[in-house]
Amino acid sequence: MPTHIKNNIYAIIGNSAAGLAAIESIRRVDQSSRIVNISNQPQRPYSRCLLSYYLAGQYDKDILWIRPEDYYKKYDTEVLLNTAVTGADIKNKTLEISGKKKISFDKLLIATGASAKFLNIKGADKKGVFVLRTLEDADGILRMLPNVKNACILGGGLIGLRAAYALKRRGVAVHVIVKSEHIFSQMLDAEAADIMRQHLEVNGIEISTGLEAAEISGKDSVDGVILDDGNRLDCQLIIIGKGVAANLGIVKGQVKADMGILADERLETDRKDIYAAGDAAQAYDVLEEKNNVNQIWPAAIRQGKIAGLNMAGEEIKYEGSYGTNSLDFFDLAVMSFGVVKPKGGGFEELIALDAKRRLYRKIVVKGERIVGGVLINDVERHGILLHLALQKIDISDIKDILADEYFDFGKVIPLIKRQTNLFIRPEYKDTCVTYSPLY
Amino acid sequence: MVQSKKIFCDITRCIACRTCEIACAVEHSITKDLFLGMLERPRPKKRAFVFFLERDVSRSTACQHCEEPPCMEACMSGCISKDEKTGKVDIDRSRCVGCWMCIMVCPFGIISRDITDKNKALKCDLCPDRESPACVDACPTKTLAYESRDEFLKRIKQAKKVYAHSHKK
Ligand SMILES: Cc1cc2nc3c(=O)[nH]c(=O)nc-3n(C[C@H](O)[C@H](O)[C@H](O)COP(=O)(O)OP(=O)(O)OC[C@H]3O[C@@H](n4cnc5c(N)ncnc54)[C@H](O)[C@@H]3O)c2cc1C
Repeated sequence: MPTHIKNNIYAIIGNSAAGLAAIESIRRVDQSSRIVNISNQPQRPYSRCLLSYYLAGQYDKDILWIRPEDYYKKYDTEVLLNTAVTGADIKNKTLEISGKKKISFDKLLIATGASAKFLNIKGADKKGVFVLRTLEDADGILRMLPNVKNACILGGGLIGLRAAYALKRRGVAVHVIVKSEHIFSQMLDAEAADIMRQHLEVNGIEISTGLEAAEISGKDSVDGVILDDGNRLDCQLIIIGKGVAANLGIVKGQVKADMGILADERLETDRKDIYAAGDAAQAYDVLEEKNNVNQIWPAAIRQGKIAGLNMAGEEIKYEGSYGTNSLDFFDLAVMSFGVVKPKGGGFEELIALDAKRRLYRKIVVKGERIVGGVLINDVERHGILLHLALQKIDISDIKDILADEYFDFGKVIPLIKRQTNLFIRPEYKDTCVTYSPLY
Repeated sequence: MVQSKKIFCDITRCIACRTCEIACAVEHSITKDLFLGMLERPRPKKRAFVFFLERDVSRSTACQHCEEPPCMEACMSGCISKDEKTGKVDIDRSRCVGCWMCIMVCPFGIISRDITDKNKALKCDLCPDRESPACVDACPTKTLAYESRDEFLKRIKQAKKVYAHSHKK
């Protein structure tokens, strides 16, 4: 509840995960100030994470709209869609928007997200070469599909393989070209990647690793891709999945940035009243123990939420970010978090593998604390492990059963009793009020 | 603010009979009958789990309807919501795409993949058709209760007192 009437102008650039979360959290504590939301996307808020599901034909376009139509009215927010912020004057607190109009603000959130990296090889400008980041990208691919028999995906990460899966479900023959030795080289260790690769191949997705596209061939439109080993693959569609880069352009040189805009514990940049959240931001990573970009939806929501509260005058500390992701292809689920491929000393890996049932569990431990993990198939425990890691719980008492098939939340409760102060959520305490260990 | 109700478990009373698990699956079946439910396809599924803490010590655990639900923040289709009044955390099945981001971040590991029924995330919904959840009503040892945190803590404190007293003599 507001203790006093505030009279701020909050400007929020971007109406995706981070921007929306900020609007919602600001309105929780400040009902009187102005909020202006500016976005260069023409559509009302949608979830870009669902684009591959839409592309696959698993769901209609309707699934994408993550907020109701009257959203901006409900949150008493002025919205400028289809409007690019072309410049920012941080010192004088004004934004320049397309059409040369100016907008003044008291507090600014930069939630401009990221853009897909493009590939600068010969022929990449031909018709039929796409990335998958926006609804326009997905619709563009869909328009091509009637004339596509073969598609090549360049990149073996989350977006590349999600796109491959979607096209496969559409009946397109898909070949994925991966530069690294393994697919999902960011998210998975080699063992897990191999299990997933085999599963994808069995289901008809072709994968080549250790190769790169050298040139895209065709007249105006793509008709093939030439690889760096000289081989050529026929295809009428190419999707580039080579990762993303934060959209920093409008504040370049004005706020401190590395791979993303550097945000402190309150998600404020090095300039007062200027905040950053989501894919555009770089914050402290609690599992990697360094500043890091974690360009994932949950981080964008959390950062947007905390940034919004701090902009509105609350003093909320951000717990820090972390990497984590979840995938499901042809009914095989895989998840991972934190450090999955430990480098250097001091790490211990707890591994359980049952290749026949395609069960794989790996937990990475450092100094009696969990710092990462990979799970295939029985993923239900993922969140339990993740929170043990985030709260830096000493797991030495249960280390021998962490990777066990029958590990569940019950085994954590004795730890809550012994390390009460580290378990932050009130719900943890609820679960052990009536538990009195015998020792 | 009125404290919201949820399911609390008194570990000292739980005998791991799993009646809660069965009552949960039956309540979420079409026929709401144990034996007919077994024949339903997709098969009715439980959303409550008996977990062991140590030998002979167990508790029934389902969604904690967190005050700040991580699942809601992680859900990339925006299909998880928390009712401001009742505190209930709900999954809108029509919008769930089965990305499992909720499972990925649930601190209690009590969300399941409903792979035999349209690939949706599944968890305790506090039995919307009933006044009190089926697991609570079915528990033969009164281990489970549907109440607010304050009510639960008060009741447990009281019970401890009575217990200590009866053992003094
Ligand atoms: C196909 C796909 C699948 C994905 N799957 C997952 C997944 O499974 N799990 C996961 O965690 N993450 C996933 N992601 C990543 C996730 O979508 C992002 O982390 C998330 O969208 C970040 O939100 P954001 O608000 O920071 O930025 P963005 O979503 O990038 O939004 C940025 C906003 O800023 C606006 N903007 C940018 N520049 C300007 C400007 N100059 N002027 C005005 N407006 C501007 C844009 O129009 C947009 O509205 C996926 C992404 C894609 C593309």
